[in-house]
Amino acid sequence: MHVMPKNRVTREYMNTSPSKTQEVTTEYLGKLLADVANTRSRRAFSELFKHFAPRLQAFATRQFGNEQTAMDLVQDTMTNVWHKAHLFSPEKGSPTTWIFTIARNIRFDILRKNKHRQNDVSAEDLWPVLSEEMSDSSEEDFALDQNILMQEIGEYYRQLPDAQRIVIEQIYVQGKSQQEVSDELDIPLGTVKSRTRLALQKLKELITAHD
Amino acid sequence: MIKFHPTEELLVKYTQGELDASLCLVIGTHIDMCPVCANTVKDIEEQVAKRALNSGSRFANTDIDNMLEQIMNSSAPEAMLREPALKEVMLEGKQFKVPPSLGRLGSRLGPWSKVPGSVWRAPVDIEGQHNVNLIYMAAGASVPEHTHRGSEATLVLNGSFADEFDNYGDGDFIYLGDSHRHSPQTAQEDCLTLAWLDAPLQFTSGIARLLNPFSSLFFR
Repeated sequence: MHVMPKNRVTREYMNTSPSKTQEVTTEYLGKLLADVANTRSRRAFSELFKHFAPRLQAFATRQFGNEQTAMDLVQDTMTNVWHKAHLFSPEKGSPTTWIFTIARNIRFDILRKNKHRQNDVSAEDLWPVLSEEMSDSSEEDFALDQNILMQEIGEYYRQLPDAQRIVIEQIYVQGKSQQEVSDELDIPLGTVKSRTRLALQKLKELITAHD
Repeated sequence: MIKFHPTEELLVKYTQGELDASLCLVIGTHIDMCPVCANTVKDIEEQVAKRALNSGSRFANTDIDNMLEQIMNSSAPEAMLREPALKEVMLEGKQFKVPPSLGRLGSRLGPWSKVPGSVWRAPVDIEGQHNVNLIYMAAGASVPEHTHRGSEATLVLNGSFADEFDNYGDGDFIYLGDSHRHSPQTAQEDCLTLAWLDAPLQFTSGIARLLNPFSSLFFR
């Protein structure tokens, strides 16, 4: 085998990867992903690529039985790894799992695209792996809104019948589930739910009447 | 306390992306509601990933170098920002919280229509087929006894209903094969479910059989 001069530089950094006999640990792969995310390290990405690309190719070839499609999946998956490494978080799972879920989603979309369907659901809708998470902040906004709302409606809230107010207090102020309230007050779950609904209805009426 | 869960086989297929999108939606919504299955799926993901990526094929060095260069020189794709998820649905003056998996597809939820027997349904448009529906049963409602040419998956989002086999409450996931007959009904509490069908219902008892020619109009 001859080495084309163009590839020499590439080869040099490839040689710095751990030898085949050495086990590539989850921690090590995680560190490589962090290096890609934090410093755009081309060396770290090359190591990740060398570890994952052949595995992804074997997986995709088994799935598609078509080499070109398999290579497309490898390239799409690893392109996402290069650009979106910052979305990996070790608390959610191992690097292998994260990269598998990216490949799983791409495979799902490729198979469905082949059926030429319009307005299709994307894998990312079903399994959000690469979406920039806005949910955390929007959850906070939601909670904040509720706090303000709680202060504003405190006045109306005191006008509720005792039975409804106690339920609302436990659920919305103390954050208990309807089941917990049902257990603690020893009333049927259905009653807790209907009291909650009635109370919210009543509050809504009070608020809109005073608007 | 959730009593009924998808089988491990279904969860594995879900994790591998081998079910159709509409059934994935129902199972994903169950997982949102069920910490037990969320944990199981996390384990399954680790195992499936390890197995899928445990060995590599031989990659030509020139392929590696070319692809590496292409990838590292590619421009970053735009961040995938999704439209805000649907957080709740309103029906009959009542408000129901929507779990995130369903919420992400909230823009596909169609209008409500009434079905005989104090039952309402709203289709979730997936692949242009309406085989996932939100089904709302008022208190004291019943769906006539029916069977299916295919399978049926039902997830209780809020409330409870019963059939000949058991009682089902928030988060319960019920999967019935094609030979099962049942007649779901609610008692003093109403019930909102997310239901998936792979073929129209077949009503099996009495006068309800007259509905069969039309069943695809409301339950599919």
